Amino acid sequence: MIEFWMFNAMALLTVVPALLAVTVKNVFHAVLWLALSLVGVAGLFIILGAEFLFVVQILLYVGGIVVLLLFVVFLSGRPSDWKGRSSNEQWLGALLLSAVLFSSLSAVFRMMPSAKPVTGSPGPAILSLARILMKDWALPFEILSLVLLAALVGAVYFTRPDQERKGGGPW
Amino acid sequence: MVTLYHYLVLSALLFGIGLYGVLTRRNALLILISIELLFNAANVNFVALNRYLYPGQPLGQAAVLFVIAVAAAEAVVGLALVLALYRTFRTLQIEKIDLLKG
Repeated sequence: MIEFWMFNAMALLTVVPALLAVTVKNVFHAVLWLALSLVGVAGLFIILGAEFLFVVQILLYVGGIVVLLLFVVFLSGRPSDWKGRSSNEQWLGALLLSAVLFSSLSAVFRMMPSAKPVTGSPGPAILSLARILMKDWALPFEILSLVLLAALVGAVYFTRPDQERKGGGPW
Repeated sequence: MVTLYHYLVLSALLFGIGLYGVLTRRNALLILISIELLFNAANVNFVALNRYLYPGQPLGQAAVLFVIAVAAAEAVVGLALVLALYRTFRTLQIEKIDLLKG
């Protein structure tokens, strides 16, 4: 029973801030609503027994990506950007498309095998998680570090001032 | 009683919200925010399916770790591109960024 109410609370904490994050006009507020929605997703991870993912979600998303987004909010944008509508003219079509996608996904999910609700708390998954990452999926794990390195180099390249970029960029 | 269906519907709802944001936002930064919502919808699905269909074998959680790492790389490069766009065009309104429009 307590799981049911926790699920409801976390679902509310996820969906309502997400709705606000895609509708509010102020960019700063949208980033803050996104952070709250990510906290809700972290709560869902806890209910699902993925405590390591909870930590990663808080550290990486709420602590890392959201702060990065806030920095970009401060560094870019003009006051004239925040005037006028925050959504474009296609909002009705987009709303219809999203609603159709949601309802069809829900219909498909109803055909999923109705798994029995798991009872009892799961044991700590971190040991087997480490075994998967370091043993079974060791090669993808190392490739991922290359991806992160490429992202780092790309970010440094794109944000260099113009005069330092000697003939490299297209503009 | 919370079943698998609850989590799947919740993630579909989150995905729909994110898709609406991607399609309607006029600011490049806000589109990136909506993409983060899409990533999180997928992550909720991964963890819920792992918990209900294959408990005791956290392959889905490992997949979520990979998704989070790739999402971090995407956010870093995307934000660098947003900053470069702002330096070049002095705006983030995507309908004003029309260099390739004939």
